[in-house]
Amino acid sequence: MRQTLLIAFPKGRLGDELVPKLVGTPLALDAGALKSRVLRIPTATPGVAVLLLKGADLPRYVAAGVASLGIVGSDTLDELDMDLLELADLGFGACRLSLCAQAGVTLDALRAKPHLRLATKFPRATEAWLARQGLTAELVPLSSSAELAPLLGLADAVVDLVQTGGTLKAHGLVETAVLGRSSARLVAARGAYLSEPGRIQPLADMLLGALKAKA
Amino acid sequence: MPIRTPHFPDLLFGSASRLRRWEDALMGLLEAHGYRELHPSLVLRESVPDGALRFFDGDDLVALRWDFTVALAGLLARSFPVPPPRVAYAGAVFRRPAQPWEAVERFEVGCERIQPEGEPSGEADVELARLLMAIPGVLGLKSAILHLGNAALVRRPLEAEGLFGDLADAVVAALSRRAPHRVREALDGHPSAARLTAHAEALLSGLDGPGTLDALESSPYADLLKDERDRMDRALKALLPILPPNLELRVDLADVAGLGFYTGPTLRLWAPGAQQELAAGGRYDRLFPGLGRPWQAAGFCVRLSRLLDLAETRPDLFEQPQ
Repeated sequence: MRQTLLIAFPKGRLGDELVPKLVGTPLALDAGALKSRVLRIPTATPGVAVLLLKGADLPRYVAAGVASLGIVGSDTLDELDMDLLELADLGFGACRLSLCAQAGVTLDALRAKPHLRLATKFPRATEAWLARQGLTAELVPLSSSAELAPLLGLADAVVDLVQTGGTLKAHGLVETAVLGRSSARLVAARGAYLSEPGRIQPLADMLLGALKAKA
Repeated sequence: MPIRTPHFPDLLFGSASRLRRWEDALMGLLEAHGYRELHPSLVLRESVPDGALRFFDGDDLVALRWDFTVALAGLLARSFPVPPPRVAYAGAVFRRPAQPWEAVERFEVGCERIQPEGEPSGEADVELARLLMAIPGVLGLKSAILHLGNAALVRRPLEAEGLFGDLADAVVAALSRRAPHRVREALDGHPSAARLTAHAEALLSGLDGPGTLDALESSPYADLLKDERDRMDRALKALLPILPPNLELRVDLADVAGLGFYTGPTLRLWAPGAQQELAAGGRYDRLFPGLGRPWQAAGFCVRLSRLLDLAETRPDLFEQPQ
């Protein structure tokens, strides 16, 4: 008998957008299980279940072949740089990766600092941008609430994801540069896809079909 | 950041015995087809790349053998005015792994087919593919998949567009992810963006049998790649009639792994359910000219360490030994 096929879904912002899109489709998540604390949720299709995972952990589950497919932000993919196939840009969850500083602080003012400190959850993307700009900076690695860093003097600015700009505004921050753009991507394990495309591709088509039907 | 611990596995009785048996069987197969064994030194003094296990021998920086093809190429270029046409090897290479779970010491068996420059290479490529087709049976794999690709399908359009360096690397990385949308992102604003994105979509449109080659017709580079397509078509016509019953043949137009090294047809062996390819190779016509020898070459390497892991984790993929 074949094992249950697992799809890894992100918790948080992307997951909140994704799960309602699947209601009424063959991949709708079991509402009862979703309300509980379980992290493995059956779908409307027998033999297909969803794992709810933190975005930063999700690519590892897919790369190791535990989950056949996953949905994750391209910002996370770029940051982890794992060996995954990226089968589609799903379009939703669009946001910018931006350099943000207190209102009145310009990009030129940041450039002029002899010792620039940037707080971020995205050190790889930030390093790449600094290299493109010919700048050097001290990176302050944070895993959450990066908006506080410039307000409390931990850093001169932050590099963070911006979707509506509401959080930035609430903290008196403004975008001074856009480093890149991110959206949700459908990913698959290279090994599983190349050795069993007949098993993985139909599941990917089902997921893409479900998302398209609700678009 | 990934946490990495050096992984130097010891082989216990079952794996040690399997390694010995598989090495003997594979070297026997290669010898029966005219491949003669060469054993390059375990310590290499060539320019040592990142990722090699390096140490000082007196004042000299040396490294444990990190790649058989490179080691053999150095040995052949130094020692032979005319290349031996068929060479085989078996042993360990030592390389810091890209993935944390991979071993530093890896056991391999492989072969190289070397020819003087200008000699037709199509038959040599088919010879190697036929040999690789026999390997699942020798190893006792119940079923396997052979992927045929061709590095020129990506190389030639990039060269024709004058795309080199970081931008070309970004396109290759996007193809490696099988993500045509990443090709579009990488080439945003470049004059070749529309053409190369359409080409990427053609290459990625299927991963199937011989019919996959038809996708090349929709590529803007269909004329440029006509010779490569004809060559793959001839190879398929030669291989399909002799395909063993437990082996599936697929055409993977978007195989870009090792694109910096491979110049033409590529071969990759998979088993259904295996997370990593079990053997890989292809044509690499630029290595020997770089060493001052006008020779062309192709070869493949069977990754015995991955097979040993697979035999432990997925014994159901193998026939039970008699």
